[in-house]
Amino acid sequence: MSDSPRLLVVDDDADMRLTLKLSLELAGYAVEVAANGREALEVQRMRPANVLITDIFMPDADGFEAIDSFRREFPRTRIVVVSGGAQFTKRDYLPDAALIGVDATLQKPFEIEALLETLKALPAA
Amino acid sequence: MRLHPQLSLLVAGAVAPVLVLAVAAGALLVRHERQTMQSEAIGRTRSAMSAVDAEIRGHFTSLQALAASRNLETGNLAGFYDEAQRVIRSQPDWLAVRLALATEKQLFDTRVPLGGDVPPVGDVTSFRHAVATRQPVVSNVDTDGAPPVVRMRVPVVLDGVVRYVVTVQATPDRFSGVLRAQRVPESWVIALVDGNRRFISRIPPLPPGQKISETFRAAIDHAPNGWFAGETLEGTLAYTPYVTSELSGWVMGIAIPAVTVDAAANRTVIGMGAGVAAALALALLLGWYMARRIAAPVAHLAAATAAMGQGKDVRVPDPSRIDEIARLHDALRTAAAAVRERSDLQEREKAALQAADRAKDEFLAMLSHELRNPLAALTAAAHVVKLAQPASEAAVKARGVIERQTKHMARLIGDLLDISRVAMGKAAIERERFNLAKVVADVINVWRASGRLERHFVSLGASAVWVDADRARIEQVFSNLLDNALKFTPPGKRVNVSVGPEGDQAMLRVSDEGEGLAPGMTERMFDLFVQGARGLDRSAGGLGVGLELVKRLTEMHGGRVSAASAGIGQGATFTVTLPSVLPSAEQAAPFDSAPRGAARQVLIVEDNDDTRAMLHATLAFSGHDVREARDGTSGLALAAERAPDIALIDIGLPDLDGYEVARRLRATPGGRKIGLVAITGYGQPEDQKRAFEAGFDAHLTKPVAPERLKQVMAGLR
Repeated sequence: MSDSPRLLVVDDDADMRLTLKLSLELAGYAVEVAANGREALEVQRMRPANVLITDIFMPDADGFEAIDSFRREFPRTRIVVVSGGAQFTKRDYLPDAALIGVDATLQKPFEIEALLETLKALPAA
Repeated sequence: MRLHPQLSLLVAGAVAPVLVLAVAAGALLVRHERQTMQSEAIGRTRSAMSAVDAEIRGHFTSLQALAASRNLETGNLAGFYDEAQRVIRSQPDWLAVRLALATEKQLFDTRVPLGGDVPPVGDVTSFRHAVATRQPVVSNVDTDGAPPVVRMRVPVVLDGVVRYVVTVQATPDRFSGVLRAQRVPESWVIALVDGNRRFISRIPPLPPGQKISETFRAAIDHAPNGWFAGETLEGTLAYTPYVTSELSGWVMGIAIPAVTVDAAANRTVIGMGAGVAAALALALLLGWYMARRIAAPVAHLAAATAAMGQGKDVRVPDPSRIDEIARLHDALRTAAAAVRERSDLQEREKAALQAADRAKDEFLAMLSHELRNPLAALTAAAHVVKLAQPASEAAVKARGVIERQTKHMARLIGDLLDISRVAMGKAAIERERFNLAKVVADVINVWRASGRLERHFVSLGASAVWVDADRARIEQVFSNLLDNALKFTPPGKRVNVSVGPEGDQAMLRVSDEGEGLAPGMTERMFDLFVQGARGLDRSAGGLGVGLELVKRLTEMHGGRVSAASAGIGQGATFTVTLPSVLPSAEQAAPFDSAPRGAARQVLIVEDNDDTRAMLHATLAFSGHDVREARDGTSGLALAAERAPDIALIDIGLPDLDGYEVARRLRATPGGRKIGLVAITGYGQPEDQKRAFEAGFDAHLTKPVAPERLKQVMAGLR
């Protein structure tokens, strides 16, 4: 595995996908994108990523379902959850992350630097 | 005090005077019966006494007949003795006949041979009484001899002087027959008493001469005739009427046992008592029954009322037959229904409040989501712009994102501000008369041109209908309905828009083949924040305020909005009705009546068959010479054949775009003179600017209104 891990960004909003991909590529990551959980699984099977960055609320397959599928099929993949919902407001992320079995959570909007920090802090896969 | 004793008292109170009267009448009756019995007994006693008197008189008569003998006148004692012997044989009750001188010298006794030793006259009192009164006399019982006797004496008056006294001695038994003949009941006592208050005869029998009871004696001493109560010699308590004979001074008494006398009264009293007791019992029973009939439903009602008070389910008992109770029952039932209704209403209101609260929470969560998402994209894009080379593709893309997301956010915020302005009633309406069908068609054309309709089959059925309304607001209403239909309709499905008059209303209807609505959702659809089951699904997007805005705006115009759906998956239809008005005079003027300009050569370049046909028909009707082309190339070919006066060119053509067609036409000989009109779905100022730069003289936004087209054409040379 190379120094810059492969990332898979899943978001149903095209602009969000695009900006995250551009930002992370600027930071040196190789980035794949998918619009939903199902698409993400297909991409992952073809070009496995080390870290999944996914929104929680998406059509077709709910983000939670996608996370569940990844957990079972790709247990070594680290998962970062981003969400604009109120579910994670004013809370310490870690307990929630532990609760749903993901490695980190970020609330939208977030600074790209914060995301980069989070990625760096992830335990090596 | 409970109802039962009260009612019993009431009934008893009503019965009491009747009872008192009955008792008084009973007492009178008892008294009357006693008096009747008394007078009957006295009468009976008198008649018995009379019978005794008659018996005595009979004896007197027989004795006087004997005393009238001539033998006494002549002093023939032997002859009279014989005569007396004969008579005595015919009178079995006579023990002896005696003759004495008035001087009390006894001459003979028939029991003794004439001249024999005769006993004294005996009972001197009656003898002397007879001599003194010259009347027949009967004596008291003489018990000196045996057997006891009573004597009847008749004085014999010769030459005005009492010479002799003839006496008969008889046994008191002689009167027993008279007493027996009275046939008094066995338990009674009938007695004949002499002046010495001794029994002459008695039934049941006692020895003649025995003294009567002290009570009887005292009664007789007190009054010769009367009535007394006391014990008989047998010890029986009895009422005894008695009569004293004037002839003999004897007393007849009949003792009637008190038991017999009182029995009748007792029967009456017992009858009365039983009647009173029965009446009282009936009163109590009646009271109890009435109390039961009143109290039982009252108790049920009380229980029901108590249950109602505790908020339990109220079971109102069956109605009573008593009107007042029945009314109370009705009142309670009504009250129970009202209470139930009120509590139901409270439940519903509570549920509605909770639903509204939930909707508000969901809205806030969704709003948070909707605003954070574009912010997240903007933040990331800003990051890219900051780090990437300004001319790099990444920077260009990031700027595009910033532009789009900024617009998106602006729209969201605009929606929020709109709904709050409308909700607070601060939205002003600027009314004008316009054709609703045209506004709808305009919106559809703009949207089609912008590509927003490309994933659906959107059809429009329109006929002109005029409304007096705020054009921008009505556009907003329709845009929201159309946006809603597109959002909830899968790609490839149909969305049908129809607009036109319906009665005196202007009707605008948007039907889709989308997800439909669950039963019960149709009413709630227009509530603030409420969306279908899509929840936070962002592909549906929006804030859920669109339909609320539709409703508020429509109602501000005096219209109504409704939603209908056959159910989930069955699509939905939203209908807006607005009051329709007559078009203003100038607007109503049909465009073909406008002053006809000279007939012109018109070229239409339009790939949409409907639009092309409509334009062709309109222009041909106005007398113009019309040719048409489906695309830019064939349009240019037609113009090359013969230059038109005016060309109407669609911008969105399949081969060359409208701008290119315009530029090439202008480049042809005489191309400068052609009036070029752009037909476009793009109505933005920059679109117009671009059209003018390409050489167009005028710019018409689809759908093209005929009158507008005429104005534009009239404006061209």
